[in-house]
Formats: sequence, structure tokens, C-alpha cells
Amino acid sequence: MNQVEETLRQEVAKLLEDGTIDVFVGHEAASLPLKTSPCFVRSPKEVDRLVWNRICTSNLATYLPQLFKRPVGLKGEWTPPKVGVVAKGCDSRSIVGLIKEKQIPRDRLFIIGVGCEGMIDRHSVGRALGVVGLADAKVDGNSVQVIGTDGREKRIDIADVLAASCRECQHREAVLSNLTVGEAPSSAPEVSHYANVAEFESKSPQERWEHWVGELSRCIRCYACRQACPNCYCEECFAEETAPKWLGVTTDLSDVFVFHLGRAFHQAGRCVDCGACVAACPQGIDLRLLNQKINKDVEELFEAQVSLSLEEAEALSSFRMEDDQSFMTEP
Amino acid sequence: MLEMTLDKSKVQEFLRLLGQNRRLFAPVKDRMGTKFSEVADPSLVCLDGLNTNLSLKEVVFPQWETLYTFEEDQANEVKLAAQETLLFGARPCDARALELLDRVFTWEGIDDPYYLRRREKTCVVALACNTPGEACFCSSVGGSPVGEVGADALAFDLGKQLYLRALTERGEALLKEASTLTEKATEEDKQAVQQAAAEAEKQLQPVPIPEDLAALKESFDAEIWEDLGQKCLGCGTCAYVCPTCHCFDITDETKKGVGRRVRSWDSCAFSLFTLHGSGHNPRTTQAARYRQRVLHKFLYCPENFGEAFCVGCGRCITNCPAGLDLRAVLERLGSLAKVT
Amino acid sequence: MTKETNEKMSGDGWEPRIIAFLCNWCSYAGADLAGVSRIQYPPNVRVIRVPCSGRINPLFIVKALQTGADGVLVSGCHPGDCHYISGNLYARRKFALLKSLLEYVGIEPQRVHFSWVSAAEGARFAEILGKVIDSVRSVGPANKMIKKFEEVA
Repeated sequence: MNQVEETLRQEVAKLLEDGTIDVFVGHEAASLPLKTSPCFVRSPKEVDRLVWNRICTSNLATYLPQLFKRPVGLKGEWTPPKVGVVAKGCDSRSIVGLIKEKQIPRDRLFIIGVGCEGMIDRHSVGRALGVVGLADAKVDGNSVQVIGTDGREKRIDIADVLAASCRECQHREAVLSNLTVGEAPSSAPEVSHYANVAEFESKSPQERWEHWVGELSRCIRCYACRQACPNCYCEECFAEETAPKWLGVTTDLSDVFVFHLGRAFHQAGRCVDCGACVAACPQGIDLRLLNQKINKDVEELFEAQVSLSLEEAEALSSFRMEDDQSFMTEP
Repeated sequence: MLEMTLDKSKVQEFLRLLGQNRRLFAPVKDRMGTKFSEVADPSLVCLDGLNTNLSLKEVVFPQWETLYTFEEDQANEVKLAAQETLLFGARPCDARALELLDRVFTWEGIDDPYYLRRREKTCVVALACNTPGEACFCSSVGGSPVGEVGADALAFDLGKQLYLRALTERGEALLKEASTLTEKATEEDKQAVQQAAAEAEKQLQPVPIPEDLAALKESFDAEIWEDLGQKCLGCGTCAYVCPTCHCFDITDETKKGVGRRVRSWDSCAFSLFTLHGSGHNPRTTQAARYRQRVLHKFLYCPENFGEAFCVGCGRCITNCPAGLDLRAVLERLGSLAKVT
Repeated sequence: MTKETNEKMSGDGWEPRIIAFLCNWCSYAGADLAGVSRIQYPPNVRVIRVPCSGRINPLFIVKALQTGADGVLVSGCHPGDCHYISGNLYARRKFALLKSLLEYVGIEPQRVHFSWVSAAEGARFAEILGKVIDSVRSVGPANKMIKKFEEVA
């Protein structure tokens, strides 16, 4: 057990004991190697379920709005619970966004911030193994020892299997917290920000189109990307609306395009690039390439960053008189 | 029945020959491991992977299909012809899933023509597993890594050669088509196969499956569902990668006076799955939706079809973005049943 | 390719179909003024009147392209003139991102246009429309996003 994990458990036990929180949302080990599962702790006795390691990939902010919803069919008084949550930089930014969008109340949240050096992307480990499965894995410092289902062992540098969003992450500490656990993370490495987007932009329109045709023909419309996304809390998604009916239920490319363009656009000025959509996709589609494009534009056109503080207005709920009009045919 | 061996260097030639008169589907390499897809070039076929990341149900039960088209008040049937199809290298769990799907689409004497037109033209050559995948548990749910159910022929990878055994007349006819490339299996081969089968079955970790249906029924109000439901993200991944999940939705798509009625996969994990036109939704919580998925497979299907609708392929486990593990759920359900 | 698209591609008869979303207070009135002033403009445009350019859901534009429009024009009040004070200024940010995103996925930028047209600019509306039509014509019939209803057997 590492130091952060130990302190985290102690702190959570205290918070539950003294009634500061009713439930704590954290990560626990899942049965498969290099996988964790969200964990809801309601009693100090259960804090040992909590883990903190290099595979706490999920963005826990996704799980928060549901906790503050009045249970359906409940009669009489209902007080929303006091909720604790462990937050990496990205989780905390999603939390900021959700507070600003009034999906979760700040005063009933207790955020434990943890510095993050980046999480392992299970898909990348899978790719390193090829066509066989992952039988076992052990994280050891900066590398991970994996055993394939064919019995072959391999040592992989964590740097080589970091989630793509973690590689480019500029906010490795929680931007909003009640308490911080563990040491500050090492400073973010110098990476060319939006390098993947810039490279993609330099391709010809035909190449760009063909890329998305290829990627989106993989989509099976399971909506894992949407469900894993903290920003996708709509009770009814435009993808499933019937009046108006924006798109069909098929995997016809046209429908899939409308879905992914629509979803990406609904993230405009809101996406914190946590990578949850990419990690959730069972087909390994790089949806970041869409979302990051919008983030890049938001940064360049409106000089805005997404969800760094509770005070700042988000890019699309504000404007400036002198905003760029160069995209217009006749301004 | 026919038993033969095929030198592995001849697999491509074998597939090319059999693929001449039919569509050929087989595993090919993919960024997510392997995927089952139609192959024009047999050199792309990869038999070294375990389960393909997506199941092969799409071949007989596509993600979406047009049931009929319409113009104003006139409906037009769609042509129901399907081509002869060979599924080569399907793992025994997937082959068995087809047999389970057959029961649904012919339930109580009502045949689903859309499903059957493809299914009847489908010949399955399964490939027995030598080693289990990371989340495999076929032997715990009535299957086997060397199972024959649902397949027309079964292949074993013996290292240098493939051993092939016809299981049905269709399988025998198929193998005979390529008899110039194969040799008769020797006693030695058969022994090697038996040994491989025993070896494969030994490697699987047993998962206790709750078989006491009455006890499962009792679990309806158990706390376990609340616990699992709060983790479940409500995506359709488990259902869409599952070889036996078969729920579908029917919607109309219209455009300027013409339209079509489309059937598409649906998932009980979606909150809109049970939403009524009135606005009422009988399954209000994710807990209820997750319970539905598990109980449908392990309680309602045994009641309706005589068998649990799970072949233990493990895809829902490896792909679940919330790290939910059906095996662990079954274990918990089992212990629940014992206590009550 | 659909029969319809085939015909459009092969014959000289193809004319771009353009959906124009015009705000009620300025651009729609501008188009109206063009009409009452008897200023000729080509009949390729189908106008949809909306209360404000801020009302335009970017999905309207995507949906128009999916259902067969060859091009889309969105027009509202000049900055500062919005009937609702700032609807067009919020809209401007959305449109900047959408235009860029569509181009990014490989959809021809010549298909999607934005402009500000006041109620007094009838002649300007006709002029802009001419430009838009020329621009859409230069990239031919749309074929990327369109949902086809072919027979699936």
C-alpha cells in the first residue's frame, strides 16, 4: 500500500465518522488486472476497499450528479447527501464544470485532491500484447510487468502506455479541493500541446474525411463514450430524442457522424480532456481527436481554458464584442 | 463423422477454396485484439487470438436491418435472400451462442424470417481453445473450450496442423470440398486432440453459477443490485459485445413520403429502454436495469428456454468501462441464495 | 450513390439546394426587403425563419447537411443590433467552432456560410446569396453526410 492510499483511507474514515460526509466516491480494485471500479463507501469500516494507484482512470465526477437526485417515487422530505470524492486534476475540473452547470452543489461536496502523474491506458497495454489477453500485471515504480494469456511476460514502461490525455495533461493537481492528500506531482513534461490536432489539420480534406469514415465505421453506438463522460448528464440525449428526431438508430455512417459531431459539439468549451470517452470505447476510437480540436479552437479564438475555476464563465456562455469573425462569409 | 488434418501452411489455400462459393468470415487482427469480419484475402486471417473483441452475432443478427420500406400507404417487403456463409475460427462459446439465439428466433413456433434467412445459410467451423482468455468461464455455464454445440465442424490447433472434425452433414460436406488439401486423421492425432481438450478444460477457473431459480427470484429486492447499479454507467457495451443478448428496438425512418422500418440492437442498460409513450418508466434506477440484465440471462431465460443465456465468453467483463465483473456478481448471488 | 445524386451529378441540370436560417428581426426582413424591392436572387434557397441567430442549434446545420442540403447559410443581426441584445454574439462563438469542426472532419467549408444582414440590406442579402450559391456550386452536390435510403436486403 502506498502512502497516498493509506492517508486517503484514514481521512475518509475520519470524514465518515464525524459525519462530514455520508458517502465517499473513490476507486477500488476490479477483478481484472490493470482495471479499477468506482467504489461507494458509506461506513468507516469499508475504507480499506479504497485504492489509489496508476490505474484510477475513471473520471469519478461522472458518478456525482446521480447522488444528488431525489430518488424517484420518494414521498416526503429528502435532504441530499453530503458526498466526498477523490479527485485528480481532470476529475476536479469536471467537478468545477458540474458545479457551474448546477448539477452538483458545492456545499455538499468534500473534495480530496490527489496529485496525478498520469494513468495507464489499458487499451495501450492490450496493444502491446497483440492478439492475446492480459492474464496478470503488476505495477512496479515506473514500469509494469505484464503476463499475457499465452504465458509470455513483458516489462513495459509506464510512459509508453500512459493514456494519451494524461500525456498532454497540464493540470495534474485538483483545481478545487477541501483537502489535498499526498505530495505535489512532478511538473508536467513539456509536450507540444495539441500536437495530434495540428498534425491532423495539416492533412488534406479528403484524408481527414477518410480518417473519420474509418474511425466512425467502428462505432457500435453503445454510448459508452457518452455514459462515461461527466458532461453527458442529460436525462434524454439528442441521440435518442424522437421529437425532433435528430438521427436514426443505425450504424449508417451518416447517423454515426451526426451522433459524434453532435456529442463533440455539446462538449464545446466544457471538455476537460480527461480521456474517459477514449478509455470507455470498446472499439478503441480516438474521440479525443474531435474534442481536442474544439478545445484548441476555444483556446485560440476565445483565449479560454475549460473549468479551471468556479468564477470564470465558460467559453460558450460568454462572448466579447471583438470576437473573431474571420470565419464568416460576410461579417 | 469425418476427421481430418490440415497442415497449417495450407490454411490459406483451404480458406480460399472454401471461400469461392460463399462469404467467408474469420478473425482478423484489429487494434482491439481480433475482430470477426468478412475476409476477401485469407492471408489476413489470424487464428492466434482468443475471443474476438466483438461477438459474431452480427453476422446472423446485424446491428440494424430494414424490415420493410413504405411509400405513403403502401408497404414493400425487402428481399430475404442471403448468401451461403462460412464462419471459420469461431470460438466454441460463440458457436454455442448461435444455438441459443436460434431458440429465441424460433420461439414457440414463431420463426423470425430475417434471422433465419442468414442463419440457415451459415456454416460454422469452430476452433477449440487451447488456453483460456483473461475472463473466460465457459465451462461454468454449461459450455466447454472444446464444445461442439452450434458448430458444424470443430477444429483443434495442434501446433503444426489443424485437426478438423465434422459434426453435422453440412460440416461434412464442407470439409469434403477441400479434401484435396487434407489428410485423414491418425490415431496419434486423435490422441493429441484428446490431450489438448483435457488440458484446456483444466485451465479454466470454475465460477459458481446460481442455479436455484427460486432463490434467484428471491434476490429481486436484494441490496446487491443497489450496490452494482450505482457503479453501472448505463452504456450498452455489455449487451452489444454479448453473443447472446438479442433485444432489439423497432423504429421508423421517413424522408419525403418514403420510409423504412428498421430493427436495431437495444440494451436493457439504457434508461430509455423501458420508457413508455406516456412518460412512465417502470425501471427507474440503474440498479433495476442492471438486475434485469443479470436476471434475464440467469433466471428468465432458463425459465423460457431451458438454459442460461450466457456462454462465458467474458466480453462484458473485459469491456465494461466501470470494471463490473459478471463472475463476481454471480458469485455474490450464489452466496446470497445459500444464506436465504 | 442514390439515384437522385447520380442524376444531379451527371446532368447539367444540378442546382445547389441551400437552406438559409434567417433571424426574424434583421436577416429575414432583409430578405423580405430584397423581395419587395424586386431585387432578383436565384431560387436555390429555402428560407427557415428563426427568432434569433442565437436560437440556431448547431445540430440544425448538421441535420440540414444530413437530409440533403448542399449548403447552409445562417444569417443574423449585425453585432450590437440583436433584438435580444446579445443572442448573435453567443451564436457567433458557436458558429466559429462549428464551421471549424466541420472543416476538420473533411466537410467542404464552401458549404457552410455565416453572415450578418440587417433589415435595410435587401440588396446586400441578394448579393450574399449569389456568393453563397457560387461557393456551394464550386464543390458540387453534397454527398458526405447525406443519409441514403437504399434497399438493404
